[in-house]
Amino acid sequence: MSSAENKKLMQEIFAGLANRNGTLLIECMSEDFRWINIGTNKWSGTFDGKEAVLRDLLAPLRGKLIERSRTVAHRFIAEDDYVVVEARGDNVTKAGRQYNNEYCFVFRLSDGKIRQVKEYSDTALIDTVLGDPKEMPAAG
Amino acid sequence: MSANENKKLMESIFARVAAGDRTAYVDCLADDVTMRVTGQYSWSRTFKGKAALVRELYGYLHTLLADGRRTIPLRFIADDDHVVVEARGNMETKAGVRYDNEYCLIYRLKDGKIVEIREYCDSALTEAVLGKFPEPAKAEN
Repeated sequence: MSSAENKKLMQEIFAGLANRNGTLLIECMSEDFRWINIGTNKWSGTFDGKEAVLRDLLAPLRGKLIERSRTVAHRFIAEDDYVVVEARGDNVTKAGRQYNNEYCFVFRLSDGKIRQVKEYSDTALIDTVLGDPKEMPAAG
Repeated sequence: MSANENKKLMESIFARVAAGDRTAYVDCLADDVTMRVTGQYSWSRTFKGKAALVRELYGYLHTLLADGRRTIPLRFIADDDHVVVEARGNMETKAGVRYDNEYCLIYRLKDGKIVEIREYCDSALTEAVLGKFPEPAKAEN
């Protein structure tokens, strides 16, 4: 696919994410999809494979928030296989804290599938607001 | 300038700075450049204008970091008037502590000058190694 087609696909994916709908994002992940979070906090590192991304990253994140996450993109920059998306989160944790991180996602695509994303965000905010992915807030 | 010309310009700036010529970068900043350090940590703010950026941000970094600091570009992604640079810092503080941050730098160019920069990096590392950005004459949080 061309960079224009890749950009259009990411715009469609983020139209969903702005409405708390990650269906298309998940649909477009290749089986060997890799998600890399920068930094050295408890959410940092490489999640290898779609299954691991869903289980070890996105499910714990969902567990921290009062509802499905909302991410609003404000710029798309595309060249060849890469689409860079700048975005802002609009979320509240179960502990009642605002979690509005600023993201720069560097996506690599091929054949209409997302192969990799590297997420740059405010890691200090993640430490402060999200804490440990393994620690689940008490129900209710 | 085309996306490709903008990319070539950013590649040449990073190469010249890596070779020790920081003026190559400063010369390409527009006088009214703005740089936003994204996020909600102590360094997050917008530096408005070349003079303020050079004095308040780079001047302060110069007091903290040992000479010969490097930012190594890993990838350039150009589209229209934007060039994204993923990069890795290769730095040491004056106290001898490694400071190798991960950066995604987004440059907007116009007529061969950098008019806007947005920086994303590992803010936890910035504060752990470099401390909080100083707030002038601020008595309490």
